[in-house]
Amino acid sequence: MAEVPFTKLDPDAHLLLDQPLLRLPHELLRKNLKSAQRQIEISHKAITTAFQTPAAQKRPADALAALDATLAKAQSLKRKLEALNAEERSLHRQQKARIEHLEALHGIPSLADVQYENWAHTRLDRLLVDYLLRQGYVESARQLAVEKGIEDLVDVAVFEECGRIERSLRRGEVREALAWCGENKQALKKIGSQLELELRLQQFIELVRGGEMGKLMEAVAHARKYLVGGLDAEFGLRAGGLLAQPVETVIEPYRTMYSRTRYPHLAHLFLQTHHDLFALPAQPLLHTALAAGLSALKTPTCHSAHAVAVANLSGTPVCPICSTELNDLARNVPYAHQTKSYMEDDPVVLPNGRVFGRERLRVLNEKVGTGRGMVRDPTEVGGVVWEEGVVRKVFIS
Amino acid sequence: MDAIQQAHEQLCQKGNLSKALADVQQLLDHLQSTRDAVAENPDITALHMAKLKHPLKQAFDTIEDDLKEVNKGLNQYQKALKDKFKNSALPTAGVGESGVLARETGLVNRAIGMHLLREGKFDVASTFVREVNEAKQQQATASTASEEMDGVVVDGAAASQQWLQDFAGEHTTTGEGDGGDGNEDDESPMDSTGLGRGQLQKRFADMYHTLDALRNQHDLTPAIEWARQHSAELESRGSNLEFELSRLKFVELYTTTTSDKPNPSDQDDPDQNDEQPAFSGPLRALAYARAVFPALPPRHTRETSALLASLAFCPALATSPYTHLFHNQDAWEAASAAYTREFCSLLGLAERSPLYTAVTAGGIALPTLQKVERILTASRGQWSSVNELPVETPLPPGYMFHSIFVCPVSKEQATDDNPPMMLPCGHVLARESLEMHSKGKSRVKCPYCPQECQARDARRVYI
Repeated sequence: MAEVPFTKLDPDAHLLLDQPLLRLPHELLRKNLKSAQRQIEISHKAITTAFQTPAAQKRPADALAALDATLAKAQSLKRKLEALNAEERSLHRQQKARIEHLEALHGIPSLADVQYENWAHTRLDRLLVDYLLRQGYVESARQLAVEKGIEDLVDVAVFEECGRIERSLRRGEVREALAWCGENKQALKKIGSQLELELRLQQFIELVRGGEMGKLMEAVAHARKYLVGGLDAEFGLRAGGLLAQPVETVIEPYRTMYSRTRYPHLAHLFLQTHHDLFALPAQPLLHTALAAGLSALKTPTCHSAHAVAVANLSGTPVCPICSTELNDLARNVPYAHQTKSYMEDDPVVLPNGRVFGRERLRVLNEKVGTGRGMVRDPTEVGGVVWEEGVVRKVFIS
Repeated sequence: MDAIQQAHEQLCQKGNLSKALADVQQLLDHLQSTRDAVAENPDITALHMAKLKHPLKQAFDTIEDDLKEVNKGLNQYQKALKDKFKNSALPTAGVGESGVLARETGLVNRAIGMHLLREGKFDVASTFVREVNEAKQQQATASTASEEMDGVVVDGAAASQQWLQDFAGEHTTTGEGDGGDGNEDDESPMDSTGLGRGQLQKRFADMYHTLDALRNQHDLTPAIEWARQHSAELESRGSNLEFELSRLKFVELYTTTTSDKPNPSDQDDPDQNDEQPAFSGPLRALAYARAVFPALPPRHTRETSALLASLAFCPALATSPYTHLFHNQDAWEAASAAYTREFCSLLGLAERSPLYTAVTAGGIALPTLQKVERILTASRGQWSSVNELPVETPLPPGYMFHSIFVCPVSKEQATDDNPPMMLPCGHVLARESLEMHSKGKSRVKCPYCPQECQARDARRVYI
């Protein structure tokens, strides 16, 4: 065949999709460290202040009390660090498993190798679990991960938490999302996220919505506390303006601010921020890989009106794009770019215009039991039988 | 990769919290001992307390240093990571076409559902369908609660509805607004084969049981049963499956001696039959042949007669001209593969999971696509053809499923709108090229040979 076998495997280029796989545990480790730092800071502060009270320095009873309190604090610090340490260990284990998984690719000589097939299978499972998690099908994801034994290569817990917060936002609750913002305060600040401001603004909107005087006062206090001091003065201004507008206003941007669609919007913003923070791609990787694959495999024949029906005999493996699973899905993606014709050896044409490789035509005719010296189009059920002489050579360059 | 591994090992050894933990423990011990001392000797409380001050500060300093060490490890790891993945940008899905699949959630889900069934993960598949259903109901209630949801979600809901309808086999093609319409025409293959979800699942389950029996227990019965039931369909595809299974059965009967003296090695080794010429095997094979072979289509007559003729050589089969019929180690594997192939193609499905093939192909093609995307963004260009990828994405052999015709004149791929045309001399051009070439001329010279012809003599060919 004309095509030069393309089986070279370049692991570095090949791991394009797999960066998040290593990034996520890393970001989680960072978060873990930050938590540890915060815990230590808190305890440090608490313990030092406990000792600085002058009473504790002198009277034995007070000193004992102070020491006991300190001990308790140190104990709790230890407990917390132990938990974080355990978390860290499991993250390290995950990291190791992932590095090994990617490392395995470097040992595979070519794309035609069986090992590559196995590796690609694991990758598919990984991508599927990732996709299921992102769609919120946590149970299926967990089950699949367990059955395939790839728990260390996927991040069920991360997405579970993320999904929980997202759903709470869609229900119209901001509490959990705010708690999450609190946990990741520093990191959020670093990437300049406005998620927390948006959430606080939402709280403000809810206070104003009722229009009662007491609530309005509360809203003003809330705005002073959370919205004005921020980096972005816009939020304070918008909040102030909202005070003057009733719920049924038609004036923008206040109408949108009162709208319930702010919740899905917030949920979306949360997802974006979350993925940004943990270096997760915004799109499921399955989409990326699948879209590329569909295009790379797709030919104009796949959706042609003249294509041979899949269930008919063609003597070639069924094309994945023509197969039921992907056919509709691939309809709107571009097809692969080709610069050369790709034909079977010795192509011949039948009177009905179908082109076959001569050898395949012979084998297929034998299979369908066409008589000696005769030929028919094997892809047509019950088609016309011709004399062998009608088969013509066709030149395709 | 080595650098990452090294950094990771460093991280595991040094960059962890256990040292900090040990230091906290030390602090605890210290505090405890001071407390004991104070309790024992209340008189010099002030002294004890004063003595504690410095170590306390020191302890926290050490702990913070411990954390710094962890931080250092993390930074090193991050650096290794960055070196490894130099161009950190992930390619957007399908180059410029980002979000094609995001709008088709239902179809993606359907593909995944079928993939899971195909892999034999029936439990996961049913959990998956349940969860999709639940999510769909939730979305339905959510969208009634608030009329304006953001577009993506509504589309997703519509699409997944279509998918579940597909799986349920209900034939209701409603004009779904802007979601995945146009993709679900009336004769969606799912419907035309009449596959309900439960049915699909059951069929795959059947397939797996049959395959298991065939491959692992060398039990032909379920496979033959299936082949007989679908005899007519298989025949119209010119499939030899039924014959091959029957032949295998014949060989099996032939080479197994009496059932009350089962000797497993006999199956593979007919030589031993010679030494203990038990004719019961061949006789049963003959009986089987008489019952089954006449029903097979006539094109197998040669092979069936060969099989029967081998009966004449019964004790000395190994030296007979028919020995090759019986010595075929791969026969079982081949039969399993043939069975899978026929089974899937009767359902209109590819033999291997298309999802696997497509995702793997995607993995192979992505680096190329990403490079193009990078270049295009850098030059602020856009690729001209929406229907076609901008570059070649070479795939290994085995990923080519169709012949491809690229017009040698225009270098464009033939499509339904621009089909390949064969000139009387046998050379093939795309129709547009031919039209350009023949413009204003009554006769056209073939661009590749000296022959001349009239443009209307060119015939459409199907490649």
